[in-house]
Amino acid sequence: MTFALAVHSSKGGTGKTCIAVNLAGAYALEGKNVCLLDIDIRGPSLFSIFKPEALFWVNDMLSGKRGIKDTIHDVSEEFGTKGKFFIGCSNPDISEIREIVRKDRNWQSSALKNLISAKKELDKKNIDILIFDTSPGVEYESINAVAASDMVLIVHNSSIACNSCTEQIIGGIYTPLKKHCVIIDNMCHDNTLQPSEEKRFGIDVIARIPCMCDVATRNDEILTLTERDHIFSQNIYSIKDRIERHRL
Amino acid sequence: MPEDELLEEILAELQEINSKLDRLLTGKKEMVFDPSKKGNIADSLDIITLLSLPDHLRTTATTLLEIGPATAEEVAELTSKERAVESSYLNQLVRMEHVNKYREGRKVYFQINER
Ligand SMILES: Nc1ncnc2c1ncn2[C@@H]1O[C@H](COP(=O)(O)OP(=O)(O)OP(=O)(O)O)[C@@H](O)[C@H]1O
Ligand SMILES: [Mg+2]
Repeated sequence: MTFALAVHSSKGGTGKTCIAVNLAGAYALEGKNVCLLDIDIRGPSLFSIFKPEALFWVNDMLSGKRGIKDTIHDVSEEFGTKGKFFIGCSNPDISEIREIVRKDRNWQSSALKNLISAKKELDKKNIDILIFDTSPGVEYESINAVAASDMVLIVHNSSIACNSCTEQIIGGIYTPLKKHCVIIDNMCHDNTLQPSEEKRFGIDVIARIPCMCDVATRNDEILTLTERDHIFSQNIYSIKDRIERHRL
Repeated sequence: MPEDELLEEILAELQEINSKLDRLLTGKKEMVFDPSKKGNIADSLDIITLLSLPDHLRTTATTLLEIGPATAEEVAELTSKERAVESSYLNQLVRMEHVNKYREGRKVYFQINER
């Protein structure tokens, strides 16, 4: 069965997109069939990294206008991955985003059903790993993605606000939905005295990725594919292994 | 107050409550099931509403969401609860208008409301 990961955070800019993209790359390079979907339909990112010649978008899949197969693109050849590497982008056009903002609860409810069906379709296509890049906080689309996932990767930075918001989201969303969660501390500054923890809020902290300017300045490339030995890439590969261990 | 007077009073109160409940229920039914009245169709169950359900009903609703239309027995298999228990939860969700049920042959299927 396809294993779905939702990359989520309580606050914005913690590195979700960056981690989702590199993790997808790492899985695909090592031979897993991967599909990465941009669920951040209010603030799309993936189109700028993958520049797809898209006819249809994740938006169309969520609306039920198109199936998942019309929405995703195979980029395995471009990136030379051993496994299949599919991506689905959301539409950056502002009129589309304005449309999304106007949608009501009924639309969100059928979007969740379409997302769950998409996962089942991808399973038939032999996709091993499905990764949702989400928008931060309690947005309908993100919570839908969490609901459709098997595990939540909580990407965290060390701000106080992030800490208290994460605790709220764990108690009010992940736990009631019975989701298996892991925490990734990103953009860590090693000169802080904060000890590295094994668990926070009762959840395993599976990585502490240092803050490195490189990651930001080279965000037009997928480091796990272009430079495997980079500290950031090493961290992502280790996250992948930790996730696999958690699945057992 | 003598005992039977008290009992009578309680009985009267209960009857009052009962008729209030009846009015509520039938009122609601009319609102939902009368297709001639526009704009009164129940909303479909979205994830935020689902999150506000009590634990036991949330588990049932989540399971139904994942597997699609199903019988109480099929849901019970996944939640590891008794069929009768699951059936009562599903019917509660029907009364709350989050779920609807339909018959196919001898089986009763439940599904999340869709608008
Ligand atoms: N470990 C890191 N060190 C330094 N910069 C990083 C690190 N991780 C991510 N970044 C950079 O931080 C910026 C924000 O990252 P990203 O866009 O992935 O965050 P996000 O959580 O997806 O944001 P949003 O909430 O807006 O979707 C990017 O420029 C990214 O390259
Ligand atoms: Mg992002």
